[in-house]
Amino acid sequence: MEIDKSLVSGSMSLLVMKLLEGGDLYGYQMIEELRRRSDDTFRLRAGTLYPLLHGLEEKGCVTAYERTAENGKNRRYYHLTNQGKKALTEKEAAWQTYAKAVGQVLKGGTCLAGA
Amino acid sequence: MQEPESIRAYLQAVEDQIRWKRARPVLTRELARHLEDQRDAFIADGAQPEDAERHAVEDMGDPVALGAELDRVHRPRPQWGLLALTLALALAGAFLRVSLTAGWIDGIRGDRTLLAMILGTAALLGMYFLDISRLARRPRMIYLALLAAGIVSWYISPTFNAVPYYTRYIILTYPVAYALWLYSCWEKGWTGFLLAILGGVPPALIAAMTPYLMGLLLFLFTGLTLLLYAVWQNWFGVPRRAAAGCILALLLSVTGILAYLVAQGFGASRLENALHPELDPLGRGYQGVQIHRVLEASRWVGEGDLGPGVSFERFLPEAAYDMIPTTLIYHLGWMPYILLTALTLGLSAWLLLRGLRQKHRLGRLTVLAASLTLALQCLSSILLNTGFVLFSASYPLLSGNLHAITDMALIGLSLSVFRGDTIAREESAEPAPRLRRIKRIRLKIEYD
Repeated sequence: MEIDKSLVSGSMSLLVMKLLEGGDLYGYQMIEELRRRSDDTFRLRAGTLYPLLHGLEEKGCVTAYERTAENGKNRRYYHLTNQGKKALTEKEAAWQTYAKAVGQVLKGGTCLAGA
Repeated sequence: MQEPESIRAYLQAVEDQIRWKRARPVLTRELARHLEDQRDAFIADGAQPEDAERHAVEDMGDPVALGAELDRVHRPRPQWGLLALTLALALAGAFLRVSLTAGWIDGIRGDRTLLAMILGTAALLGMYFLDISRLARRPRMIYLALLAAGIVSWYISPTFNAVPYYTRYIILTYPVAYALWLYSCWEKGWTGFLLAILGGVPPALIAAMTPYLMGLLLFLFTGLTLLLYAVWQNWFGVPRRAAAGCILALLLSVTGILAYLVAQGFGASRLENALHPELDPLGRGYQGVQIHRVLEASRWVGEGDLGPGVSFERFLPEAAYDMIPTTLIYHLGWMPYILLTALTLGLSAWLLLRGLRQKHRLGRLTVLAASLTLALQCLSSILLNTGFVLFSASYPLLSGNLHAITDMALIGLSLSVFRGDTIAREESAEPAPRLRRIKRIRLKIEYD
């Protein structure tokens, strides 16, 4: 099923930070990992990812460094900072609240329609 | 607009949207690598190379939107406030040293000071607009060039108080030169650590043989701080405790040698004169005693009172040069001096604290070296001008025209690091992708 892009865009920084919680990754790895973990639902474009990563770096949520990747080439790895971990916890909590509220409204919609 | 089909064309389209010229190659390097990874993945799945490249570009998304987003995130961070503060302090210093010594036989000449301010402003702005990543590409060459400049000036410079005049100012840049050397040794293990220590020897020798004691102490303290910082950050990739132990052993050895030399009489009388100038008030303690007299005759605000018929210029040796802070205290009072000191030390501390937050290692080291150089000059001058006459010491942006130019260059270098921090990257072995310029007329604002 095709997911509406507007549903995904607001939560993209949450997903990226969640990926980095498991370990340092470079851009290409993040896209591949996100696709794998979402069963091909989230196909993030690099054109969206890099400005997002650079914005997170500016805010201090991630830091970046160069390292030789498994393919022997230099890649820019991103690392979730303590500030980023804190922001991730807050965003996760906000997302859970939001998702629960949407779920309740969707469930309640049937009752109202039948009332 | 026709969609780009090749990696080069795609990156070019992204670059066209980024107004900060210095940021373009830095940002597109990461995108180029991503595109290459994607293209290689398509080829591994069986696609033809041309098709793989086209698909990789299509997968990337709109280059104009990407470039515009990167342009929004990456802008130079102007440091107008700190530039203005530096210029204000430098102009205040210039005005004070000319006006306070006006009419003296060896007073500071206005025309020379004006020229120094023009050169100092040029040095400040020249360093401010410098791309720090250029220094990162050839750190050892710059270090060696500064060493060579010190040695050459030693031979050709006129001497003043038995010290080669221009060598003193070059030595003030040695902490920054050492920061560059240290940067070239990172991630090289124990070899890098050993090279980092050895790199400190030539600048220290030049300062010791000049001889310029303040320059030597300033270099040793700053160099040691930089080395400890690098070890603490684990930049060499060696165990921290072992490396810190080596530095401590080195420090104890140097201190032991110096203590032994003092115990044997070398420099002991100089130290005693600095601590007790009253023991030889008409000889080696003369300057210290005179400073105490001037300070005792000074007021909080306004001119002090040394008594009728006293010529201040003759009363205090070096009144127009290293003793200009004492001259300031006597003629204008303690309050203006305290205010000036608070501003100068505040600026140094601000540079230091912001420097430690920079992303780029060389940026951090450079700002650390420059700000410590300024702060230690200031503290040495405070010691000297309160009667502890152990070595000559200049007050940043106040004593001496050439000193002011050197200090303005050091501040400009620090501000350059802050300005470009958003695109600061550690150097990679891979060169930035070279792009063909597409010739067309563009009308847009560009940052230098």
